[in-house]
Amino acid sequence: MSIDAAISLRDVAFDYVANGRVTRAVEGVSLEVPRGATVAFVGASGCGKSTLLKLVSGLLRTTSGTVLVDGQRVTGPLKHVGMAFQNPVLLPWRSVLDNVLLPLEILRENRDPRTPERALWTEKARALLATVGLGGAEHRQPRELSGGMRQRVSLCRALIHEPALLLLDEPFAALDAFTREEMWELHQRLRLHREFTGVLVTHDLREAVFLAQRIYVMGTNPGRIAHVHEVAFPAPRTLARIDGAEAIELIRSMREQIRPTRETAA
Amino acid sequence: MTRASRRVVLPLLVFVALLLVWEVAVPALRIQQIVLPAPSGVARTMIDTAGPILFHARYTLQTTLIGFGAAVVAGLVLGFAIGAFPAVNDALYPLLVGFNSIPKAAMVPLLVMWFGIGAVPAALTAFLLAFFPIAVNVAVGLATLEPELADVLRVLGASRWQIFRKVGVPRTMPLFFASLKVAISSAFVGSVISETVASNAGIGYLMAVAASDFNTRLAFAGLFVLAALGVALYGLFAAVERRMTSWAYTE
Repeated sequence: MSIDAAISLRDVAFDYVANGRVTRAVEGVSLEVPRGATVAFVGASGCGKSTLLKLVSGLLRTTSGTVLVDGQRVTGPLKHVGMAFQNPVLLPWRSVLDNVLLPLEILRENRDPRTPERALWTEKARALLATVGLGGAEHRQPRELSGGMRQRVSLCRALIHEPALLLLDEPFAALDAFTREEMWELHQRLRLHREFTGVLVTHDLREAVFLAQRIYVMGTNPGRIAHVHEVAFPAPRTLARIDGAEAIELIRSMREQIRPTRETAA
Repeated sequence: MTRASRRVVLPLLVFVALLLVWEVAVPALRIQQIVLPAPSGVARTMIDTAGPILFHARYTLQTTLIGFGAAVVAGLVLGFAIGAFPAVNDALYPLLVGFNSIPKAAMVPLLVMWFGIGAVPAALTAFLLAFFPIAVNVAVGLATLEPELADVLRVLGASRWQIFRKVGVPRTMPLFFASLKVAISSAFVGSVISETVASNAGIGYLMAVAASDFNTRLAFAGLFVLAALGVALYGLFAAVERRMTSWAYTE
């Protein structure tokens, strides 16, 4: 394995038990994610994409095989990861600012050495909110925000503690098409400001092409990596680029690869 | 008239109109005062016996609040235990549901047997009726925590206790405060039932005595006092709820 892999999975399998029956969710997954890269997992529903994300974060333990993050074996939930989901799950009783600061409160209580100095918190949060176009919204309540704005707050909460690892599980799936594309560009802008390794789970192939340097197409029953695509478009990427012939061809071929697994799953 | 003021004024108007109809109907239909006294007669009795009524009302209020206070503590503890620990939930929830289906009035004779006539069985009946809604609401609030939110915090190294404190408790508060206004009404019902059966004081006792003397006016006076107290207690806790958890209501 390369020394600079931020994440590496070796022959990972995971079984879950439901109603007394053991089902294999993922099997034989081996891969490496270079530091600072973003990889995407795409595939039909039930292919184990989200399970892989939870295995990387340590929220689930592998049934067999190993997960390494920064060369360390993952045996329980990691302690410094940023995560965002389709549902922004903000705390409605906290202002935008206090929602973003929540991770820092946890880190400080746990005396994490990576906790920034208390005096800098508000400034950091303000700066981050400004990068996502929410400057001046610090004291608004989540209920006053649109879906896209809530998702931006959720992204800020995932990034405030400057995690080395950002895990995104269909974070933009609930947004309308225009807002979603804005969020892709925003995500790209954030990557220019700070380095993190990203893992993205998505149904949206254009999204994967826009955001990821490498895309894993997953097959079902059990979930496994069926195809790998390197996306060589240089940064910064543009919407024009992913609507161009090369990207369209890539998306078309991935769709072809996913379709048969859908049919067997159904 | 704004919507808010209409909501206060309209029910009051209807209430006054009903009293007027009642006032006119009693002599018009030649109903005997011993069967149904006119509201003016009830009002007169209320003024004449204001002293005793006040004494008994205070007594009822006290036993209600003691039972209610105990129910808040027990309901919170039980609710948090059930909501936070699935094993406790599995062990206790069916029993609680079973217990809740016992009509609490049926327990008053037992309580009287154990604790004698007076405030203790009244406060206990209030407690028994009031703690269930609190416990259930608190448990539901904790148990319905979004799994994604727990995940976001767990990958920051948050412990279960931290998740409970930072997320579980605050998000349970609207349900807790909503349950208080249900619970205070239940507690009130409980103490009055118990007073009616076995007490030497309280509005329930006052009404039982009035009924045995065929003093219909006094019985109605007691009823009005109970209604006023019930509405006041409910209103108080509805206001507390709005104040404490405004984030959950303004859309």
